[in-house]
Amino acid sequence: MSYMPGVCTFCGTGCGHYLKVDGTSVQGVFPSRVHPVSKGRLCVRGWNIHELLSTQERIIRPYVKDSGQVSYKDAIAKLVSALSLYKPEEIAFYASPRSSNEDNFALMKLARLVFKTNNISLQAESGHRNSLDVLYNGTGFAGMLGSLEDIRKAEVLIVAGMDITTQNPIIGSELHYAARSGSLLITIDSRMTKIAKLSKKFINCKPGTMRMVFDAIAYYIDKQQWGDTKSAHYEEYKKYLATVPFDSIEKETGVLPAEVAFVAERLIKAKSAAVFFSSGISGLSYDTVASIYNLFALAGKIGKEGCGVNPIAGINNLQGSFDMGCAPDLLTGYQSIDDATSKKKFEKKWGQELPTFKGKTVEQLLSDSSSPLKALVIVDHDDGIVKYADRLKSLPFVAYIGAFTNKVVDFAHVVLPITTYIETDGTFTNTERRVQLASQKCAPAFDVMPMWKLIDAIAEAKSIPFNYKSASDVMDEIASLTPAYEGISYTLLSKKHGVQWPCTKKNHDGTKYCVPEKVSFVLPHKPYAAVQATQEYPYLLMLGKAQHYWHQNNIMHKTFIPLREYNATLLLYPDGYVAIAPEDAKQIGVRDRWPVKVVAEKASMKAMVMISDDVAPGTAYVPYFIREGIASFLLAYSDIVSQGEEATIPVRIEKV
Amino acid sequence: MYLIKKNDVKKIAKALEEKYTLYGPYLDEAFGQCFFDKVSADNIDLNAPIPANPPKHVVFPHLETIMQYKYDKNAKKADIAMVFDDVPKALFGLRSCDLTGLQCIDRFFLGQEFVDEVYRHHRSRMFIVANTCVVPFKQCFCVCTDSGPAAQEGYDLNLTDLGDSYLLEVGSEKGKAFIESFNFPKATQEHVTQKQKLVEKSITMFEDIATESKAWVSRVMNRVTTGFIKEEVWEYIGNQCIECGACSYVCPTCTCFNINDANTIAGNTERLRTWDSCSYEGYSRMAGGHNPRKPIEDRRNKRFFCKLSYSQSKKYLRPGCVGCGRCAWVCPGDIGLPNVVTYIRREIHE
Repeated sequence: MSYMPGVCTFCGTGCGHYLKVDGTSVQGVFPSRVHPVSKGRLCVRGWNIHELLSTQERIIRPYVKDSGQVSYKDAIAKLVSALSLYKPEEIAFYASPRSSNEDNFALMKLARLVFKTNNISLQAESGHRNSLDVLYNGTGFAGMLGSLEDIRKAEVLIVAGMDITTQNPIIGSELHYAARSGSLLITIDSRMTKIAKLSKKFINCKPGTMRMVFDAIAYYIDKQQWGDTKSAHYEEYKKYLATVPFDSIEKETGVLPAEVAFVAERLIKAKSAAVFFSSGISGLSYDTVASIYNLFALAGKIGKEGCGVNPIAGINNLQGSFDMGCAPDLLTGYQSIDDATSKKKFEKKWGQELPTFKGKTVEQLLSDSSSPLKALVIVDHDDGIVKYADRLKSLPFVAYIGAFTNKVVDFAHVVLPITTYIETDGTFTNTERRVQLASQKCAPAFDVMPMWKLIDAIAEAKSIPFNYKSASDVMDEIASLTPAYEGISYTLLSKKHGVQWPCTKKNHDGTKYCVPEKVSFVLPHKPYAAVQATQEYPYLLMLGKAQHYWHQNNIMHKTFIPLREYNATLLLYPDGYVAIAPEDAKQIGVRDRWPVKVVAEKASMKAMVMISDDVAPGTAYVPYFIREGIASFLLAYSDIVSQGEEATIPVRIEKV
Repeated sequence: MYLIKKNDVKKIAKALEEKYTLYGPYLDEAFGQCFFDKVSADNIDLNAPIPANPPKHVVFPHLETIMQYKYDKNAKKADIAMVFDDVPKALFGLRSCDLTGLQCIDRFFLGQEFVDEVYRHHRSRMFIVANTCVVPFKQCFCVCTDSGPAAQEGYDLNLTDLGDSYLLEVGSEKGKAFIESFNFPKATQEHVTQKQKLVEKSITMFEDIATESKAWVSRVMNRVTTGFIKEEVWEYIGNQCIECGACSYVCPTCTCFNINDANTIAGNTERLRTWDSCSYEGYSRMAGGHNPRKPIEDRRNKRFFCKLSYSQSKKYLRPGCVGCGRCAWVCPGDIGLPNVVTYIRREIHE
C-alpha cells in the first residue's frame, strides 16, 4: 500500500499521479485515473519523475564559502548578517516558479516584511506576466479564463504560436482528442508543429506577425458587424482596428485574406471557442496577448462554458508563484502593492509597514550593470546555463536555496538545502488556476528543512518570526489575505483533486471558467513593429524556447529517460543548430549537420544546419540557450529575446 | 478442488503472510483507485476491479538497483557486488490476464539463452493465487488473446467466486502442500460445472467489440505478421502518439528496460535498471546517431508487431498481448491496442 496520490511538478498542466514510496525512496509512478486534468495520462516526464526524486545529486548540507559545511544556524546567521549590510534597494530575491505556493509566499513575506525590499521576481520569462496583465485589465481575472476540462466542449480551438504537444503533452493530447471528436482545431504559427499537423487548419504566418493576424481576424469580424460591441472601450478599440492594413494582409503576414475570413466566420458561428498560447517558458508580448484576448471579447467568447482565453504555463507553479506576489509590484492574488486598501490589509496582518520604493525584477537588476544590486538570494535555479554569470560573480553576496545541485551553486557565498516536494506538504497552482495539494510522502532523505520552515528560521534570526507550525498554517495565512484563495485550506484540498480559484467560503468547489462582471477591450501599448528581412540579412531568425527548454533544465539533468529523450537533438547537433528550409539550404550550399555561421547586426555565432520542412523558406529557427555560443549571441539581443515567442532577428547565414 | 467459505479466504492470505511478503489488490483510500502492491491480508479486496498498475512491477520494478560498485582511484581497484531481492513473495488475487503476462515475462527473462539473474531471484520462492474473473471489466478483451477469464496454468492456487463460496483449484505441488493443512472440504463436480457456466457467462458479458467476433484481434494479427498494412494507417496512428511510453509501462508483457549508473552521496555507484519504452526515440538510437526507427509511425509499427505478430507467438508460445486493456486507459493519443486494431480492421474492410 505504498502508492500515494500526488501532483506531477514538471510542467504547468498539473497532472495527478501516484508515487510508489518505500521508506525515503521513490520507486515508481502511476497516473491517477480519476484526476480531472490528466484523466489517467502522463507524459514522458511524468512517467519518469521518480528518477528525479531518486537522484543523489542533492544539496544535503548548508555551506558557507571559506567556512565549508556548517550548521543551518550558522549559515542562516551568515545570510542574515550579509543581507543586513545593504539597503533594501540593493537586495533582491529570485523566486522559483517551481517552488510551492507556501514556499513562495514565505519568501515574498521575507523579502518585503523582513528585508524591506520590493525587488522580488520569478525566474521565468515575462510572458506569463503579460498574459496576466491583459486578462486582468480585460476581465479582472489574472489567470486562465477557461478550464482544461472544457476543451472537449469547445467547438473551435485555436493554438497560437505554441508547440503545445511538446511543451504540455497532456493538454496537447486533450486538444488532439477534441479535434478527432469533431472540434475545429486551428493552429496559427510561423513553424510547423505537431499540433499543426493534426489541425484542420494550419495558418502559417511570417515570424513576428501573429499580433497582426489576430487583429486582422477581429477587423474582419468588426467590418461584417458580427462582433459584440458592448464591452468597455469599444470605440477606442474600433479606432485601433482601423489601423490594421487588411488590404495588404497577405503581403504583411503571409496569410491569405480568405484564411482570415474563414477563422472569423467559424469563430463567430461557434457556440464556444477557446484559444491556447504559451505563457512562461516562451510567452507572447503584451500587445499580442491583447490582440488575442480582444478578438475573443469581440467574438463574444468570454465568460461562457467551453470558452476561454488560455495562457498555458510551462513550469508547474508559474501561475501560483504570481498568485503569491513574486513580482515587484504585486501582493498575493494580483493585488497591487500600490493599492492602499490591499497594502493596509497586509500591514495590519503582518504588524509592520511594507516598503514603498518601486521594486525591480532580478532580470532588470542583473542586466543593468549600473543598478544598485549587491546581494541576491536565488531559489532553485532551473536553467542549466547561467545567464549573467559575470554579473553574479561580481556581486558581493549571493545566496542559493535549493534541493538539487546545479551550476549556480558555484556563485553562491551561502548555500542552504531544502526538501523536494514529496518530503514536505505544499500546494501548486496549475495553468488553469487549480490549487492542488501535494502531501508529504516520506521523511526527508537527508537532514534538510522544508523551505517555508527555513524562511521562518531566517525571519526569526532577524527577530521577526512568522511562527508557522506547518505548511497548512502558511496556506491559512494566504487565504486570509487573498480573496481568490479565501476558501482554500488543507482541509478542503485533502479531499479533492484541487480547486480552481476563485474559491470563496461560499464557493468551495471553485470556479471552472471565469464569468467577468465586466468585459473591457485592452488597448495595445505600441504600434505594429514587425521586423523585416533585408538584402544584407535575408533570413528571419525565430527563437525556440518551449521545445528546448527542457534540454537545459537543471532537474531534467537528474533523470535518465527524460534526459535521453530531450537530449536526442543535442546528440546529432552537438554545436547547437539552426533549422532552415530545404530551398534555403540549397541556396546557401549546405547539407544537414554542416557548420554555418549565423551573422546578425550585433552578434554572430557558429552552429550546425538542420534542414527541416517545418521551417518556411526565408525563416530560420534556433533553440534558446542550448549552447554557450548561442547563449552569448542571444544575450546581445536580450531586449528582443524578452518578446518571447515572437522574437525575430534578421540574420545572414554563411557557409564556412 | 476445494470449496471455501468466503470468510475463510482471508485465512489463506494470513497464512501466506507469515512466510511471504504479500501482494494483492486493494483500493486506494484517497480516491478509490485499485492497485496491486504490498498489502496486509485484511486490506485485500478480491472484488476490486482489475488493478490500474500491472503486477509485473513486483518482479520487474520501475526502478531497481541491480549492482553496486566502488572504485578506489588510489588502489585502482573496484569492489563489485550484485544486488538481488530474495524476499519471498506471494501474489494473491492475480487476474488471469496478469498471470498470463507474468508467464510472458518469465519466458523473456528466464526462457532464452541467457537467464536474467536479477529477475530469477525475484521470481523464485513466489506463491501465486489467481482469481477468476466472473465479470469482465469495461476495458478488458482477454477473450481475444486467450488470456482469460479463467487461468489455465502457472498458478499455485486458483480462486473462483461461485457467489456464496469460492472454488479453490490447486495448480502445483507447492500449492497442494500449502492447502492440505487447512482441511477445507472437497468440491464436487457440480461446483466445477458451476464454475464453467460462470466463465461462459462472463465471456458473453465482454464489450461488443470483443464478443461479436473473437477473430477481432486474430485477423489483425494476420495483417501485422504479413506486413500488409498501408503506410497511411501507421502514419495516422503515429500522428496521435505523444511518445509518453505509457503503453509499455502499463503492459503486463512489456520488458523494455534501460541501464544507468548513478553516483551516490556515499561515494559508490549504483547500476540501475529502469523501465523503458519502444515509444521513445532514444530507445532505438544507436551510437553514432543513426536511428532505424526515428519516425514515430515506425515505432508504433514495431510495438504492434511485438504485440500481435505470429513470430512473437512462435517465440513466446502465445500472443504478446494479454487483453487487459490498460493501454487504452493511459494512452493520451487514444491509440491503445483496441483502437489500433479498430483502425487496421477498418482498413481491411475498405
